[in-house]
Amino acid sequence: MNYPILIKVLGILLTIEALGMVPSLLISIYYSSNDVFAFLISIAINLIVGFTMFRIPVKKKDIKIKEALSIVSIGWVLISIFGAVPLVISGSVPSFVDAIFEMVSGFTTTGATIINDIEVLPRGILFWRSFSHWIGGMGILVFTVAILPALGVGSYQIFKAESPGPIADRIVPRIKDTAKILYIFYISLTILEIILLKFGGMGLYESIVHTFGTVGTGGFSTRNGSIGAFNSSYITIVISIFMILSGISFSLYYQLSKGNWREVFKDEELRLFLSIIGICVLVITFNIGGNLGRSLKDALFQVTSIISTTGYGTVDFNEWPTLSKAILFMLMFIGGCAGSTGGGIKNIRILVLLKLIKREISKIFHPRAVIHVKVNERVLSSDVLASIMSFFALYIFIFIIGTIIISLEGIGLVSSSSAVAASIGNIGPGFDFVGPTNTFSQFSQLSKLFLSFLMLFGRLELFTMLILFSPKFWKDEI
Amino acid sequence: MKVLIVGAGKLGYRLAQQMLLSDIEVTIMDTNSKILDRVNNQLDVLTINANGVQIDVLKNLNIGLYDLTIAVTSNDETNIVISSITKKLGCKKTIARIRNPEYVEAIPFIKKEMNIDHIVNPELAIATEISRYILKKYAFYSSDFVKGKVSMIDLNVNNIPGFIGKKIHELEDLDDLLITAISKNGNLIIPHGGSILEKDDILYLIGTRAGIKRIADKSQVVKNKSKNKKHIEKVFILGGGKIGYYLAKKLLKEGIRVKIVEQSTERCKYLSEKLDKALIICGDGSDINILEEEEIDTMDAFVGVTGFDEENLLMSLLAKKSGVKEVISKVSRSNYVGIIEKLGVDVALNPINITVSNILKFIRGGKVISVSLLLGNQAEVLEMVASEDLSIIGKPIEKIGLPKGIIIGAIGHNGKAIIPDGKSIIHPNDRLVIFCLSSEIHALDPFFKGNKGGLLNELSNFNKGIRNFINN
Repeated sequence: MNYPILIKVLGILLTIEALGMVPSLLISIYYSSNDVFAFLISIAINLIVGFTMFRIPVKKKDIKIKEALSIVSIGWVLISIFGAVPLVISGSVPSFVDAIFEMVSGFTTTGATIINDIEVLPRGILFWRSFSHWIGGMGILVFTVAILPALGVGSYQIFKAESPGPIADRIVPRIKDTAKILYIFYISLTILEIILLKFGGMGLYESIVHTFGTVGTGGFSTRNGSIGAFNSSYITIVISIFMILSGISFSLYYQLSKGNWREVFKDEELRLFLSIIGICVLVITFNIGGNLGRSLKDALFQVTSIISTTGYGTVDFNEWPTLSKAILFMLMFIGGCAGSTGGGIKNIRILVLLKLIKREISKIFHPRAVIHVKVNERVLSSDVLASIMSFFALYIFIFIIGTIIISLEGIGLVSSSSAVAASIGNIGPGFDFVGPTNTFSQFSQLSKLFLSFLMLFGRLELFTMLILFSPKFWKDEI
Repeated sequence: MKVLIVGAGKLGYRLAQQMLLSDIEVTIMDTNSKILDRVNNQLDVLTINANGVQIDVLKNLNIGLYDLTIAVTSNDETNIVISSITKKLGCKKTIARIRNPEYVEAIPFIKKEMNIDHIVNPELAIATEISRYILKKYAFYSSDFVKGKVSMIDLNVNNIPGFIGKKIHELEDLDDLLITAISKNGNLIIPHGGSILEKDDILYLIGTRAGIKRIADKSQVVKNKSKNKKHIEKVFILGGGKIGYYLAKKLLKEGIRVKIVEQSTERCKYLSEKLDKALIICGDGSDINILEEEEIDTMDAFVGVTGFDEENLLMSLLAKKSGVKEVISKVSRSNYVGIIEKLGVDVALNPINITVSNILKFIRGGKVISVSLLLGNQAEVLEMVASEDLSIIGKPIEKIGLPKGIIIGAIGHNGKAIIPDGKSIIHPNDRLVIFCLSSEIHALDPFFKGNKGGLLNELSNFNKGIRNFINN
């Protein structure tokens, strides 16, 4: 392994994080809240450490698969740890473990919090928390790749490891240009939502914070009651729509901008994603009953919030009938589309798994049949199919083992399994003790660290993180 | 600039690699998804798993926005069709690879009728190079610039008495010569006055004809060779593929006797039908008995051009050992570049490199006259005409501020060749021979492309500055 280049790139990453803290610093200066000092110190720490690491002499500049994966997995752990510093220094979250949980939850766009009363926190800290959603949603390393072409060939490996989905598609020849295009659509979506929310009567500051939470599919809010606190149908619907938009693959927006709307419309993953939303909204609307308009609105918001893995809430769905809760629980596993900012298993994998099942059934009747699994008229190779199946299996294994470990907390099966599903799927709230009106503060320190790891596992698509735990990875052997 | 390469074989891959160095956006199309996976992991290019003749795929790709299509699939006809189709769909230029000897006569016709801008034939190109070497009876391999007035040669330090262990500025008698680069163990470095020459180093020298002749006379190899150098009359060609065929045809035309050893009976029949005067032997070329039977030791030159690099190299060495004076070998993989020069083969030629150079020359277009690749792809030597709007005109070379990896090796001024020093001045319409490390190719543009000025240019320079800062 080429350690010098690893350290150098991680140094660049920390420097970029320092730059990412500047907007939060400006916010806290503007509102003259008491966290100015915390940000100044944190930026200084990041810059000093980052720059020292950056200055390390590098003999060979090539980044191979091993280095690329280490950069992504170690990089994410590192930015979460350094990102937690302002929370601790400002006294908002005194415990360092809690602060790390909060920042991992931020960067992985989970949105699970350990803070019981967020409304008392200084504005700079709240902004930083939500900004971490935004930068983590599209990926801080994708950002690095976009502005630093110097990473060379390794940039594709990094891009692949950080983008959600089984196949990382370039949309233009060069990775740095692909990354730039993705960020352009991301930023446009962000600006559009800020304007629409502002238009709906939300203050500029809160519009920005909630936009970060939506387009990054995170879920951090400035209110204890989340979106429900605004009590506005307009805001609820705008955020619902943007949660759907953020759960769609960003490369489809590029296709749209090129005028290939026919292809976008035909995209099988998009169709599955929208059909699941449509069906679930209808079933839940009739299941919760009451005023039709109101229940439709509530169902739409909660369904889009969970399937896009955002985790905002307008109502306490813990009070809903079991069928509705079961549907929401299922949605936690499905998640957004590949190439979006959403988490979960991803619709494309679900689609492929369904097609595989269909193929197995046909094969029972026609043992000699040659049947290809196709998505969007492209035949998937057996390698891709195998990786999708092993991903699904690993996802379920981690869910089961995680549930067993968290059940040691003694909070009941529903709470512990939904806490694990919500962490690994980067959603945020679960059911019962971790439901939308509760927080994760009740867990022990150890469980918080464990859940943080699950969030990183989920965000980086399991295998990237898993290699850190493989002894082979650290030895320079075959 | 956007380029589509159809066919991700050795040539397609190398082309993409070389183009990425000069900031070209590359898309590679191939029908084999396994190969594309590998390309995707190793190069920063867009890969598309499709057949290049699928019109819907090309349309989807917006082929009209591309500047160049290079069709290098294994099939000549496919290449022709792809070039023709992409041109019709709006791609500005097209290049096709056509290798079949039967088409060679028809190439001008095909170019015109099928609307293809440029046709490359690697096999013919390498056969031409080999015959040039054999016919002109060079004592060493060289490339010529400025209409033959300037040459570039590579010499092993071991062969020049009194060079080993000296620093460059201590060397005497280097008028009209410039040591542009030294290859140490296969790594190319740009020397400075204090660099010490060690055993086994290979020197890359640019010089005027007189200068090169002087250093060549000094060199022991050349002395030995020129002593018993006689006209080459008998050539042994191992491998009767396309290269062997083209080469034999060229040599026969010059009245040289040719013996071809080829394994496939079918191919032998074809060759003997087409090449009247050549002696075609059907047999396994790696079988030492056949070589002895055919009295390899009486031949003047041995050329290994089978499809296997290893066979070519090993049999060339064997031929050398049997006493053949000139042994030439075709090596398609660049992996071996670092060790070949130590083996004792007189010339190892790479058809891929020759073709890539050819295509690069076509791309750079306009003022660039020739491009040669050195040592795999570690460096390029290009010859170009200095136009009046270049910023480097009229300044002494030392004031231009060229990066360390770029050297102006020679200037052709008013029909005379000059090997410049720091004080030489470049005049408009001079021919420049520029030596450039591959890692610095992207830095060529600001100096040798027309001066656009303006904010955009400034910005791109700024961007490059940042990139250099981060790279170092």
